[in-house]
Amino acid sequence: MVLLGMYALTLLVALPLSLALRSLIAAHLGDSLFADALASGTDYDWWQEFSAQASGLGTTFVPSIVGFGAVLSNLSALVDNLEMATTIGGATTAWLVLWSFLSGGVLDRYARMRPTRAPGFFAACGTHFWRFLRLGVLALLIYWVLFGLVHPWLFDDLYPWITRDMTAERAAFAVRLTCYLFFIAVLVLSNLVLDYARIRIVVEDRRSAVGALVAGARFVRRHPAALRLYLLNGACFVLLALAYALVAPGAPSGLAIWIALVVGQVYILLRHYVKLLFYASQVSFFQGRLAHAAYTAAPPVVWPDSPAAESIGNA
Amino acid sequence: MFGRTAAVGGVATCLVVLTLAFAGAYAQQAQPPAVRDPTRPTVTPAPAQSSQARSPRNASYTITARLDPTSRTLTGEALLTWRNTATISATSLRFHLYYNAWRNTRSTWMREAALAGDTELTRRPEADWGWIDVTSLKLVGTSGAPVDVTSSLRFIAPDDGNLDDRTVAEVPLSVAVAPGETVNVQIAWSSRVPRTFARTGAIGNYYFLGQWFPKIGVLQDTGWNCHQFHAATEFFSDFGIYDVRLTVPNGWVVGATGTERGRRDEGDRTTTHHYYAEDVHDFAWTTSPDYVERIERFGHDGLPPVSMRLLLQPEHVRQAERHFNATRAALRYYGEWFGPYPYANVTIIDPAWQSGAEGMEYPMLFTAGTRWLAPRTVAEPEDVTVHEAGHQFWYGIVASNEFEHAWMDEGFNTFATARALEQFFGPQYYAKRYFGGYVPWVFNDFPLSRATDGSYLSSYRNAADADAQSTPTWRYWPGTAAVITYTKTALWLTTLERMLGWDTLQRILSTYFTRYAFKHPEPKDFFAVVNEVSGRDLTWFFDQVYRSSSVFDYGVDSFTSERLSDRGYFGDSGKRTFSANERSADAYRTTLVVRRGGDGIFPVNIRIRFENGQEQRWQWDGRERWKQFEVDRPVRAVSAEVDPERVLLLDVNYTNNTRSLAPKTDAAARKWSLTWLIWLQDHLLTYGFFI
Repeated sequence: MVLLGMYALTLLVALPLSLALRSLIAAHLGDSLFADALASGTDYDWWQEFSAQASGLGTTFVPSIVGFGAVLSNLSALVDNLEMATTIGGATTAWLVLWSFLSGGVLDRYARMRPTRAPGFFAACGTHFWRFLRLGVLALLIYWVLFGLVHPWLFDDLYPWITRDMTAERAAFAVRLTCYLFFIAVLVLSNLVLDYARIRIVVEDRRSAVGALVAGARFVRRHPAALRLYLLNGACFVLLALAYALVAPGAPSGLAIWIALVVGQVYILLRHYVKLLFYASQVSFFQGRLAHAAYTAAPPVVWPDSPAAESIGNA
Repeated sequence: MFGRTAAVGGVATCLVVLTLAFAGAYAQQAQPPAVRDPTRPTVTPAPAQSSQARSPRNASYTITARLDPTSRTLTGEALLTWRNTATISATSLRFHLYYNAWRNTRSTWMREAALAGDTELTRRPEADWGWIDVTSLKLVGTSGAPVDVTSSLRFIAPDDGNLDDRTVAEVPLSVAVAPGETVNVQIAWSSRVPRTFARTGAIGNYYFLGQWFPKIGVLQDTGWNCHQFHAATEFFSDFGIYDVRLTVPNGWVVGATGTERGRRDEGDRTTTHHYYAEDVHDFAWTTSPDYVERIERFGHDGLPPVSMRLLLQPEHVRQAERHFNATRAALRYYGEWFGPYPYANVTIIDPAWQSGAEGMEYPMLFTAGTRWLAPRTVAEPEDVTVHEAGHQFWYGIVASNEFEHAWMDEGFNTFATARALEQFFGPQYYAKRYFGGYVPWVFNDFPLSRATDGSYLSSYRNAADADAQSTPTWRYWPGTAAVITYTKTALWLTTLERMLGWDTLQRILSTYFTRYAFKHPEPKDFFAVVNEVSGRDLTWFFDQVYRSSSVFDYGVDSFTSERLSDRGYFGDSGKRTFSANERSADAYRTTLVVRRGGDGIFPVNIRIRFENGQEQRWQWDGRERWKQFEVDRPVRAVSAEVDPERVLLLDVNYTNNTRSLAPKTDAAARKWSLTWLIWLQDHLLTYGFFI
């Protein structure tokens, strides 16, 4: 249920934009015969024409979103800190806030290791959301330092400085890979600490975001296995991406369009699964190291009764 | 050293030797006078030509140059033998000093580059800048001492009057060089090799040296054609013999225009490489200790053999065969289509990464350019290799003026490159590089088309009205000069190909090539050949594509096909009756309105297709802003198309050229928006990393 719920959340955020893009494509095509070609395959020339006239959301509709290119584009955009279109930026922010809200319930559910039902789930979401929001501000600060200061220093200053006089591309590529590794390592460590800060908020019923962050860092420092677990989960993502590279649909036609859609959505579902795998395994790991399985400091959060029900109960 | 205000006077004692050896045939003209300057013993006279002259050979150089990589300086001495082939006398001599384009930010080249938005260049560190200083310039006679005219040399800016530009220098002559007469000029210079700004320069131990010596301009009947160096243009110079000795550190590999005739160890840990080339209009060279050398031979029935020497970067050794095959393709197809490559050898340079020297042509030598990761289904390095090898034909042999009509070389070559690639490389696919531009990914669902992608139509769409192509290239808006030069020409040549057929266009190009090889043709010469060979007066076509910046956009405005059902009063006087459905026979009236959206005019075909597979065609001269076509048929129409064969490649919006009465717009939009949906979901999850 959690998996499907989170998948539905992503779909709900993405679908309206997809429909908006559909309108843009339809408007550009009009009743043109190009539509026939695009319905049954691709037409790079049409795509170029569309791009030449596109603005806003339309600028994100590029050939490189097809098949495994989508994964590469997104990963590359993340590690290269590329600017995103305003519409996409807005959707991403909305999705992050919504996911952040729901992640309290998800972590609580995994911590208790038993169904909490919808009222319990959303009650936990509500309980932890403001704490997560405070932690989110700290996270924003950390990521701003990483992407606003460290990344430009690494890739706009250090990398060009080191490679400026290089005459062999593979040597420069090695430098770039090293920069990526360093940046990703710092990113992973920050992410790891924030993950455990979030987990400590939920499991230990912490209210202080700063305290949770410090506690998270302490936990990661004292338990190197946390990093190994993270990397193991990361390897799951890499394996999933590689598998998708093999089966990623390109530009099918006819019935294959729907098969391609199913394959794509299965991949997206599995990405959610991997994301939740991080949560579940880390919660379990934390509980196992500091207490016991299913340990939570706070009792299950109970959805408050309505005033009417409370009056009846009191009577 | 030579200030702009340097006195022009004081040259009364200048000695100009007028050699009246000029006669009719080139073979007789080409022997440069044996001139020897006793004050410059290192300058040796040009050896006698070893083959029959193909060109006027009126600007020949004997050069010695020494490269000092430690200080990145190049010093040289040259003996120029220049013959006036114009109908007017030369009262001065003009020289290009290209390296001064990168002397400071005040040069015309730098100003234009900044105008086009390339402001990064202006922030280059001190070590990057370069210059060239003429340290001595003497007129040499067959008798008597050379006359030093160094002090009368001054910088001029004939194009834009930029007083800070030092890319053209002029020396007045006290005695004019009459038509047919020859003057010998001894030049010494020193230069600092820049970190590459425009395909010439150095990085680390890699040197690519183009436009590196003081080069005389071209005297035409209207005066000197010696433009300043502009950001959007290339070069123009006369043909001659180059006899060049290049001294570099021992162990450094040298590649150069022409053929290597010998090497001599100088005993000071340097080696002098002797190169010789005939009937070329420039000389470029490269040196590096890192080059890996490969040599193969080109041979094809009906074409002369060519020795191909490839100087590769060590990291690209596995791509040697790709370079050779691409060069073979250019030599073969260009040779078959236009005319044979006339030289015995060609040198292919694989430039160092970040050298900025990739994709540049020089006579008998060119730079290709590839990447360490180069997928087989992407024409890299093939595209650039075919293109630059192809320049040997247009730039190298025909040698039109690239300052003023760059399209006659770059445009023709872009068209021919795409055609040759289509022949030998097979299908190409769209590819994109990720992770800092290092990791390529090929999208096999996106095959590229020769006509549209090979001509770079996508870059033309938003620059179609930038400049009329007839504007001298050096006056094009720098930001879109390449589009007008390369893309527009390739597009209208492809349009011509579709109008006239390949056979006719091939005969046009081969006639033009053969007739004007080594002759510096003008646009009018090409247009005349087109009209002559095609047997049609295509002036109207060139008025549209060359003499104007007209934008072409034809489209369907409205399209209906409905059962005939007239309503109203029919019949005369007493028999006049009202009918709600007169002539309800089983017939359909199809009405099509087409529109000319742009100001460009081009005759187009109109096609309507019907449900039974039949079609109706019209020809429209494309002049009116709109035109209606109507036809009654027993079947319903399904689609209408303007320019269905897509003859007019310059149409900037082809989507509106067609209209379907049963469009699959919803299916297409649904399919692609769902594909995009997966990208967006993946994007959200990728950024979900943060929580």
